[in-house]
Amino acid sequence: MGEVIVVTSGKGGVGKTTTTANIGTGLALLGYHVVLVDTDIGLRNLDVVLGLENRIVYDIVDVTSGNCRLKQALIKDKRFEGLYLLPAAQTKEKTAVSVSQMVDLCNDLEKEFDYVLVDCPAGIEQGFKNAIAGAHKAVVVTTPEVAAVRDADRVIGLLEAAEIKDPLLIINRFRPEMAKKGNMMDIDDVIEILAIELLGVIPEDELIVISTNKGEPAVLNQQSIAGQAYRNVSRRITGETVPLLKLDVSNGLLMRLRKLIGMG
Amino acid sequence: MPEEGSVKEIPVTKSNGGGKFKKLRAVNVSGGSSDSFFSQSKRSGKNGNLSEETILVKRTLRSGQRLIYKGNIVIMGDVNPGAEVVAGNNIIVMGSLRGIVHAGANGNERAVVAAFRLRPTQLRIASYITRAPENDQHLEQPEIAFIQNGVVVIQRYSPSLLKKLV
Repeated sequence: MGEVIVVTSGKGGVGKTTTTANIGTGLALLGYHVVLVDTDIGLRNLDVVLGLENRIVYDIVDVTSGNCRLKQALIKDKRFEGLYLLPAAQTKEKTAVSVSQMVDLCNDLEKEFDYVLVDCPAGIEQGFKNAIAGAHKAVVVTTPEVAAVRDADRVIGLLEAAEIKDPLLIINRFRPEMAKKGNMMDIDDVIEILAIELLGVIPEDELIVISTNKGEPAVLNQQSIAGQAYRNVSRRITGETVPLLKLDVSNGLLMRLRKLIGMG
Repeated sequence: MPEEGSVKEIPVTKSNGGGKFKKLRAVNVSGGSSDSFFSQSKRSGKNGNLSEETILVKRTLRSGQRLIYKGNIVIMGDVNPGAEVVAGNNIIVMGSLRGIVHAGANGNERAVVAAFRLRPTQLRIASYITRAPENDQHLEQPEIAFIQNGVVVIQRYSPSLLKKLV
């Protein structure tokens, strides 16, 4: 029996889809059987981020409405044996899937896979309710911004009400140099308000933009610091203890040397 | 919403050692209470129908969550920004209070709000509304808010202060 994990945030644009794609690929990299489910019906992009857009024949609505079998709709990743995508429908409404259909779908998927990652749409309406319906666990993504943290807090409250206990937190697009100057919320500020367990901190990284546009998740790029952070997150999900990445840029030996000789 | 004309400046003292004096913008919303049972009990006299019953809430109130109770409310947890707590009597938060609180919502001006860390978005007692001044330096100590001579006062919590209030 696999684990169904929903990736959610409340606010849009904080990196739910990027996070889903990277954790999923990261888990596949570790050898697990993973399926990524895009529930953002009408605004699908998980297929684009994974570079699988041109392979879609059937989608999640075809499965739940019985137009095709589940196996027909699953798209096998072009890089990993154990990684699959169940794409969202692009031309249908969010109401095309019901909560009970979603629960059945998750139950079917968890029999076949080690991890079922559900990419949740922004907002807290029907799409959100569907996405969390079949989940055992939740990953809440936020950025270190007041508005994003507020929405994350709201979502954590709704997850608790739906009895999805102990959601895990990912702080995305963190910029240590800005936090240090007090121009951005620090990790501690975010955790103090949300008071849930931290799964990982993903630093701001230009390579994420490049990899998202190319359809190649950043976890596969050894040069990407965000990719490294996502690889660590994937390992933590499997139960491994991995220390947080050191993001303190200015304390490097070179910087200290420079300061010493007056170049800093 | 209160009318623009009813907005007035009321001072809020912060006697936390240094005896700082801060001015707060306050809005008098007497008669503007939105909850029916509060406005009903208001008609039956100033402190009539005051409930001494207390509920204990053992969790954090998050954004979008609202708690309304006729008596006292004790929260073991935080009240996050975007959450709202409304009580007919006192409100005690054993944690950080960052949301909106309204104590003495039926018009009880003797109600108090106390918290381990008192940082409300907005604090209301009876018909008084205050909000924290911009760039305020906060104490890392329990504080208590109450009405004194028609002004919302916030002071560091101390047993002697409590004796005065009870």
